[in-house]
This record gives sequence, C-alpha cells and structure tokens, in this order.
Amino acid sequence: MTAVAQKRRRRHVPLILVVGAAIVVCMVLIGLIGPWIAPYDPTMFAVRSRMQPPSGLHWFGTDEFGRDVLSRILAGGYYSLAMGFGATAISLIVGVPLGLMAAFYRGWVDDVIMRIIDLMISLPPILVGLLILAVTSPGLGKTIVAVGLVYVPIMTRLTRSVALSVLAQDFIEAAAARKEKTFYILWREVLPNVWPTIIVETSLRITFAILLGSALSFLGLGPQPPASEWGLMIAESRPFLDRAPWIGLAPGLCLCVLLVAVNFVGEGLRDLLDPRMQGRGHG
Amino acid sequence: MADILLDIQGLSLRYATANGPVTALDAVSLAIPRGGAMGLVGESGSGKSSMLLAMLGLLGKGAAVTADAARFDGQDLLKVAASLRGRRIGTVFQDPSAALNPALTIGMQVAEPLTLHRGMNWREAMERAEGLLAETGIHDPAAVLKAYPHQLSGGMKQRAVIAQALGCEPDLLLLDEPTTALDVTVEAQILDLLDALRARRGISLLLVSHNLGIVDRICDDLTVLYAGRVVEQGPCARVLAGPRHPYARGLMAAMPVISHAKQRLTSIEGNLPDLTLVDPGCNFAPRCPFAVPSCAEPQALAGEGDHRARCHRATETAALPWPEQDQARVSMEAAPERRPLLEARGMSRRFAGHGGLWRSLDWRGGWPKLAPRKSVVAVDDVTIEVRSGEVLGLVGESGSGKSTLGRLLLRLVPADAGQLEFGGTEVPLRPSSDFCQQAQIIFQNPDSALNPHHTVQEILKRPLELFGIAKGAAAGAEIDRLLDLVRLPRSYRTRYPHQMSGGEKQRIGIARALAGRPRFIVCDEAVSALDVSVQAAVLNLLSDLRAQFGLSYLFISHDIGVIAHISDRIAVMYRGAIVQQGEAAELLRGPHHPYTASLLSAVPVVGSARSQAGNRIRLAENAMAAPGEKGCSFASRCPQQLGSLCRTQVPAQRRLSNGVMMACHLPDAQLETVSLGLS
Repeated sequence: MTAVAQKRRRRHVPLILVVGAAIVVCMVLIGLIGPWIAPYDPTMFAVRSRMQPPSGLHWFGTDEFGRDVLSRILAGGYYSLAMGFGATAISLIVGVPLGLMAAFYRGWVDDVIMRIIDLMISLPPILVGLLILAVTSPGLGKTIVAVGLVYVPIMTRLTRSVALSVLAQDFIEAAAARKEKTFYILWREVLPNVWPTIIVETSLRITFAILLGSALSFLGLGPQPPASEWGLMIAESRPFLDRAPWIGLAPGLCLCVLLVAVNFVGEGLRDLLDPRMQGRGHG
Repeated sequence: MADILLDIQGLSLRYATANGPVTALDAVSLAIPRGGAMGLVGESGSGKSSMLLAMLGLLGKGAAVTADAARFDGQDLLKVAASLRGRRIGTVFQDPSAALNPALTIGMQVAEPLTLHRGMNWREAMERAEGLLAETGIHDPAAVLKAYPHQLSGGMKQRAVIAQALGCEPDLLLLDEPTTALDVTVEAQILDLLDALRARRGISLLLVSHNLGIVDRICDDLTVLYAGRVVEQGPCARVLAGPRHPYARGLMAAMPVISHAKQRLTSIEGNLPDLTLVDPGCNFAPRCPFAVPSCAEPQALAGEGDHRARCHRATETAALPWPEQDQARVSMEAAPERRPLLEARGMSRRFAGHGGLWRSLDWRGGWPKLAPRKSVVAVDDVTIEVRSGEVLGLVGESGSGKSTLGRLLLRLVPADAGQLEFGGTEVPLRPSSDFCQQAQIIFQNPDSALNPHHTVQEILKRPLELFGIAKGAAAGAEIDRLLDLVRLPRSYRTRYPHQMSGGEKQRIGIARALAGRPRFIVCDEAVSALDVSVQAAVLNLLSDLRAQFGLSYLFISHDIGVIAHISDRIAVMYRGAIVQQGEAAELLRGPHHPYTASLLSAVPVVGSARSQAGNRIRLAENAMAAPGEKGCSFASRCPQQLGSLCRTQVPAQRRLSNGVMMACHLPDAQLETVSLGLS
C-alpha cells in the first residue's frame, strides 16, 4: 500500500461533512432534473386557483397567478445553484491567486493589486449590476460573472491576510533556502495553510451570491420572469406576504437548507484538511 | 523556624480534558518564610506556571484545586486568592511587551492598581507611580510616566511591570520567568533589582525559571518539579552543589557551562509522562538511567534535614556516574581542516524603515516636506570566514544583526555590499541551486520551521528530489537513513508536526537541512526554544553530525554558554559589527572586548552566581549614539570609553598577540584590565 493511501485511510471523515454533502447533492440533483419531475407547468397561469394554501394538490400552495409553487421551485433550482456555485467559483479563481501574489511579492505588486481591489470594494454591487445591465442584455451568465466579480475583493483580501502570516513562517524560508520556485512555494507551502479559512468563507459566500443574484434578477438583470429563480420568487412574493406567506416561504426554506448544508460541507472540509483535527492520540 | 508567609501543603490540581482528567500538580508542598525567596524549576509541562496560577486563583473552570493546607499569612489562600492578588501578592510575567497595554501610558498602567486597591485619586497615584518607577531604577521616571510601552526597551518595560506589581506593597512577588525574554546584560540588571528589592522591602519572592543560574543568584530555597510532583527540595546552595534526585542531576549536567566547554552534555532521554495516567510509583523511572523494578513503589520526599529528594535510591546513585545513553559517540576534538570553506568580505545590509512614499512626508516645521526613508543598519561591513569542519559561534544581543548575517551568508537576504565566496568560488546574489544544496539552515522555532500540513515524509522527500539525490523507493530508504541520523524512529515518517514534541520537531528540521548533504549549516538559535535537557540532546546530536560528516556550522546564539560549548571559534557581534573574533579558548580566556566582558560577566553561573554578581560589569542603558557621530557602536554603553576617540572613529580590527581579532581603541595593557574582574 502506498503511503498516500495509508494517510487517506487514517483520516476519518467528519459526520457534518457527510450530512452536508448529502443535502447539497440532493439539491443539485433537484436542480438538474427538477424541470422534468415538476408536477405542473411552472409557468402556466390558473387564475381560478390563485394563492391557494398548501394542500395535497399543491404541496407548497400556489402563487398570485395560480402557478404551483413546488413546480416553480423545482424548475428554478438550476438558476439559483448555478448562480451560487458559479459566482463563488469565479471569485475564487480570480481572487485567491491575486491575494497570494499580493502577499508574496509585496512592494508595488501588492500596492497595485490592493488599490484595484479597494476600487472594486468602493462600488456598490447593485450599482455594478445596473451598470452591466445598462450596456448589455440580461442573462444568467452575465449575472454570474457580475456577482463573481463583486466577491473577488473579499477573497483577495482574505487570502492576502492569511498568506502574509503564513509567509512569515520559517518553513517558507526553508523553501527559499532550497531555492524552490515561487509557484511551488505558493501552491504547496502556502495554499494548504490558507485553504481552511478560504473554505469557510466560500461556504458563506455561496449563499450570499444566490441572494445577490436574486436581487439583480429583481432589478431586471439575470433570469427574467416568468423564469422561476428562487431569489426572484422571494422578491416577487413580497406584496403577498400578509395574505399568502407560503409563496415566499417555500423558496426561502430551500435557500436556508442549502445555506446550512453548504456551511456543513465547509466546516467538514476544513476539519478534514487540517491535520491537527486528524489522528488525535498519535501525538 | 522563621515566620512563614506562605505555606502550601499537598496542593493538587486536576484539569478535565477530552482524554480524561489530567493531574497537573500532585501533592505539591512548599513554604516561603517572610522575606525569603524560593525558586521553582523544571522543564516545560512540569506544572510550574500552573502552580502560580493556582496560587493566584486564576485557573479556569475546568480546574479543580485541592490542598491539605494553603495558608498565606494565616489566611486560607484558596478562599481569598482573588482578594489578595494585586494587593498582597504581586505578579510579574515573562514577556513585558505582552504584559503592558500598548495603548496606555506607563504612568496610567502603574497608577491604575493604586486607584483600584488603595483608593488614591489619579493625582496621588501618578505621584506614587513616579516614585515606584524611580525605585525600580528608572533614571527619568517623569518622562517614562508619559511614555507608551513601544517607546521603552525590554528591560525598561520589565522594570515598569515590576513597579506595577510593587504598587500595593505586596508581601509576596510571583515571578514567572521574569528575564527569559530579555538580553543577558539586561537580565543581570533586573536580577540586581530583585535582589535590592528583597533587601530593602523584605519582600518574599517565588521565582519560576528554567535557568538554574538565575535561581542560584536570587533564591534561598529551591523546589524542583517534575511532571507535577516535587522531586527535590532544599536550600538552593545544597541542592545545586549536590543534587540527589536523578532528574535534578540530569538538569544540572545538561547545562552548558563556559568553564567546562567541549565536555559532552548529559541529556535526559524521553518525554514527560502522560499526565492522564497517574503513576503511583516514581514517574521519572521510565527516563531514569538508574531505574530498578522497586521504583514502581510509591516514593516519598525524604532526606537529611531540609534537603529532601523523592528517590529511594538517592544515596546509592549519588556516587554513580551518569551513564552515557547516546549511541553515537564521536570524539568532540575532531581537528578541523584549516581551509576556509566560506568567506564573506565587507558584508553590509540596511533595512528600509516602514512606510512607502505616502508615509515619508515630514511635517516638522509646519510644512510638509518629503523626508528620506529612515533605514536601519543590520549588518555593517562584516568580514568573516568559516573553515571547513569548524563551528563558528556568533554571539550577541537581540537586534545585533546575528540572524541577518546568517541569512546574508546563505544569500537568503540580498547583501547591499560585500563579496561571498564558498569553496573558493564567488557566490552571486542569486545563488545556484548547487550552493543552496551545500549551504542550509536550521531555525530557532520548531513550530514555525515545519509546515503543519506536511508529514515528516513529505518534508524530507522534497529536498531529496529537488537536489536529485534520490527518487521513489530510493528516497524512502534515504528518509529512513535521515531519521536514523537524527535518532528518531522510522515510524515517524507518517507523522504531522503537531504529533511531535518540540525536540522531535527540531530533529526533523535538522534532518531536512541534512537531506541535501550540505557542507555548511547556519544554526540560527537552533536550541534556544528548547528545554535544557532537550537542548543538551540536540547539541550533542549536532556535534556528532558535524564530526561524522565534517560539517561546518555558523552557530548563532544569544547564550554564550551554548556558544562556548559548541564552537571552535567565536565571533562577538554588537549592533551589526563584529567586535571580537578568534579561537574559542583564547577568546574566552581574554583579553576581552569590553562588550564581550560584559556578556561573560552577566551570565549567572551556578555555584558562583552571587559572588560573581558583585564584580559584574555594569553597562549604561541602551542609549543611542548622538546623531552625526559615527564611532564605535558600543561607545555609548562602554564603561571603558576613551571619550571623543571612541565616539567619532570606528575602531579598526587588529590582531592581538594570542591571534584574536579585536575592534577596540583600548591599548593592549588596558584590555587586560577589562577582563580582570572576571576570573
């Protein structure tokens, strides 16, 4: 047996990770096959059955146009999940390398990167969204990019601050004394120590991304009505909150479950990746 | 019997942890008479600090303290600890920088307990604070009162902390490693202060320290703790002159002493026992070279009079020599080759001060003007050579530029000026991979030296592959060989750093440096963070490896005892310049540079610490040289200063009759007198 396999086998997977991952996988499956298992057409109006409370016929009730809320949730899950995961992935892919570079090179590289980041932070996200909307036509892909870019500064700053403390450690100097390449130092020595913090931040970011995406949809950027994106559904339900709370409650509940599950995965992953949480009792 | 101030009988402390209850202290008894001083020694984890915290009532909720009796001046200490602390029991912690709040002035911090406990108003309290600061030997107390902690040196800060503790006229002062964070010359001043306070105020001291020399200097009585138990107790002089418990003997023998340089150190093998399992017998037995089966019986503190040890064989073993346990024994006196391996000429390095363009606006004079960036000279025109197979010891205070010089020699920090030759060839500013393989480094802090996310195997494999020494299965065999070399079990290859003790981590750091089969290693305070017994083992290991492979070390340390033990030649550094260098024995014998002499005289040596304190060379406070004057960097503190010559001219290096290089204006005859006070 190789040493790597030995190492993997000894790591026990935290329960919280299993539970979280199971829920996330379920949600993703729903997002993918939802449109085909929806009991009703999510866009079909039924004026006679407007705002019906949950019943055997309509599990989550119907909305102000008589559309089945459950069907809309199933059909719209795809948008929300794509928004959450897609935007966060963009912020990671852009933000983490920028943060690592700023921390490693310091000096003018640091100054340039961080001033650009400051500039991005100073712009309100909704304004950025509206700006993009003003010059192009709405669409899911653009919303994902816009939301992703909005979260780049947070990832960069976080990565930079953690990386700075890691780079001050002696094992980095030991690597320099071996004349390691910059890429090796950042990838193999720094990043493993930065990941745990980034993962926790990412798990929070996914849910914020879904909510921000919804807000942009509400403003007319991103998926447009009658598409049934979760955030959009919550936004549209607002006028009916007193008469038909289930219209907004059901997608809200779905978002909540997703949020908690993603956070479980984040915390579980952090523990799994931290050797100090593993193999206690050997020390 | 004298008037007993503090009397603790059978104090035990248990913590509840995830792995079961931990017995941190097991029936510890100690008594301090009024005006007396007790030293508490033991390696880290032995329960020294827990003892202090228990006496202060500062332990957390999970801790259960029980005692047969704990009386402070007739009161039950465990009941009234909270009301006594800060009033009748003062405390001084290890790191003065951490003990003072950086956002408040010294005056506010010294005066605050006075307003709190003694009902003074702020004005009275400030006046009193000024008096207290003056009492702790601060020359300009009115100015220090208004200063913030970052404006003071470490020694001044520690004086302020002591002033703070003295404010409420305590009967007992608890000192937790009060000088460990300080330079040795400053340490000596603080010890003088503590001695004076005892004499003047009749205050009692409980001094926790790992340094037996300090304890001998200050204390009347000594308690040696091992894994939560008192293993030896008695009058300081008698315990140190003839330790009876094998652990106490081991501790004594593990200390490098200047007068016995080059003697092999005694190390105590093994680690502290698992405190969750209470051993009814002697808990030192697993590490004790004299252990016999009957050691499993419960042991009692016993002995003649007031010198007692918890060892039933104390009398028998006292006569036996300490058995040598190290497997590899190579002669320390391997004659080094005389060829220079590494030569540095005129090495200099400045560090720019903080702040970029925007922070360098100078507002003095009312108008902003662009001020040049301030820079600090870390290493100033240093010429040094390390010969093949030789250990060059580099000693000096913190901030003297030792570590920077070490990194300059490895080209880890680019030099501003100077040439570096290694093995006869010039090393460029961006060195070749070959040079990096030949010249390696060992760090001070074992926690920071290893990446917590890599296993021992990953840590050791990387340099092997990078330098093309071994790949695949051959690398596995090479890792085993490296672990054998540093005397760790081969099974350690799958461990993560957090699964090892400090000494074990340091060994991995050494193995990593050895992996590329180097010829030259910079040991940057490589044993400073380790307990004295572990330090001895690592020093022995470094000596053996050097003899085995003909390695050269640049051994950087602030501890002149360690330097004297391991070095063939010594270089003394002060503020970026080498003030003296030469053969170790010659240099230590004298004549000494005034700075070397002050370093040597400041080290408290067991057995002669008190007599030595009398003729110690006293340095002026660490004053900065007047701006514009560039003379000898030591001039402002030098007790032998010759006036304007020393302040305006940099002394040239000259060779004394014994071959030692010296940078000092003093004539030879006067240099002899510098060292006279020492021997």
